Amino acid sequence: MASVSELYDVGWEEMRDKLRKWREDNSRNSEQIVDVGEELISDHASKLGDDVWIIYEQVMIAALDCSRDDLALTCLQELRKQFPDSHRVKRLTGMRLEALERYDEANKHYDAILEDDPTNTAARKRKISILKAQGKNGEAIRELNEYLEQFVGDQEAWHELSELYINEHDYGKAAFCLEELMMTNPHNHLYCEQYAEVKYTQGGLENLELSRKYFSQALRLNNRNMRALFGLYMSASHIAASPKVSAKVKKDNIKYAAWAANQINRAYKVSICKQHSDILKTTSFT
Amino acid sequence: MPIQLTSQAYCKMLLHTAKYPHCAVNGLLIAEKSKEKKKDGHGVPVLCVDCVPLFHGTLALAPMLEVALTLIDTWCKENNYIIAGYYQANERKKDSKPNQVAEKVAARITENFSEAAIVMVDNSRLTVSCSEPIVVIYDHHENKWRNREVTMYASDCAFPLDVQAFWTCHSAKCTLRLNFSPATFPEHVKLCSLNRAILKHSETFKIKVM
Repeated sequence: MASVSELYDVGWEEMRDKLRKWREDNSRNSEQIVDVGEELISDHASKLGDDVWIIYEQVMIAALDCSRDDLALTCLQELRKQFPDSHRVKRLTGMRLEALERYDEANKHYDAILEDDPTNTAARKRKISILKAQGKNGEAIRELNEYLEQFVGDQEAWHELSELYINEHDYGKAAFCLEELMMTNPHNHLYCEQYAEVKYTQGGLENLELSRKYFSQALRLNNRNMRALFGLYMSASHIAASPKVSAKVKKDNIKYAAWAANQINRAYKVSICKQHSDILKTTSFT
Repeated sequence: MPIQLTSQAYCKMLLHTAKYPHCAVNGLLIAEKSKEKKKDGHGVPVLCVDCVPLFHGTLALAPMLEVALTLIDTWCKENNYIIAGYYQANERKKDSKPNQVAEKVAARITENFSEAAIVMVDNSRLTVSCSEPIVVIYDHHENKWRNREVTMYASDCAFPLDVQAFWTCHSAKCTLRLNFSPATFPEHVKLCSLNRAILKHSETFKIKVM
């Protein structure tokens, strides 16, 4: 099997920078991280300096995702040797136990961390993840609510809670979580768009109007958000079709829906043209 | 009514599942529209020739699902196909029961096609080697979805042989990191051709998720 550096003709610095980019973006492309990271640590560990430890952590988590317990254990052992009393490493030990489905042992690890340091958010979040992995969504929601009472600013947690509520079809509470996120991130079009989708799913004329407004807001923040465009079309169409609205509201919504349909058509035309031009570029006679 | 999957439908479904191992995924199953009427209450088994992967991650939100169903239904009508089923792979490994989303979507499909089935992927048996079908099929009987035994056929569809070849090919490609993965609806939203029918058919598949 060819190595990554041979296949893609990259040096160790590029591999290290790629790993940093994936770390910053929080992308979950675990197979790629394992490929690149494994080669980096086995062949170039000495050149990485202090970066090597964070790379060990990143590769270890990716290895757990890919069921590569051998690699995960190697990384964990290096980290344990270097940071013997670290809570961060203890959390990684717990994560490995979770991957092996030894949830009780993992919980014991996290409880030990919390006894030592009750403010350790990572350990609390892992305990909630264990509940989720075991399918105990109700308990996970309860624990996450308690967590958020103490750590109100944890956006990742609010988003996780909104997803848990959506899976339980409790759209009202999911909307509340997304409202918290929109308050702290007013320029994030994705939260607006997801809030609009939750409102649309809740149903009812008021919620449909709210959803149309938030789809529009998402489009204002990012006019390339196709989901928001489709959402605007759907919500405006449904409002226009509702028997409870006045003639003016009906007319306005038909206008909005027509505008959205127009934008959608244009977007598709542009992408078809692009596809055709891409195909033309690859043929031999251009 | 027995449902059959061609190797293409089956493999695409599994590829979609494998592409997003940390998410729930879902999609629709497409069958050719048959003109044969039922005889003695037993019709020809439904052959799902293809599947359309839809979403991954949060499946329980209505708007995009409605758009997808409308677009796919329109395409099916124009090309003499019909939406014959729905597949879903849940997020957790040991969870392969259809949830409320699956039942609601399948109920909608059943309104247009009475023998619609739910195909759930059994995540715990998903492996690189491909020696047995790893789906659980649910039919609608007496207001409940009941699961049915799945068997392999050594017929023209060549279920085990095709699938093994296809799957081995894919897993080899996985190792070589070639980009081979089915496009899903969110990716579709960035490309592809639209037909004007979306304006006509927006009411057809309104799903009320309560």
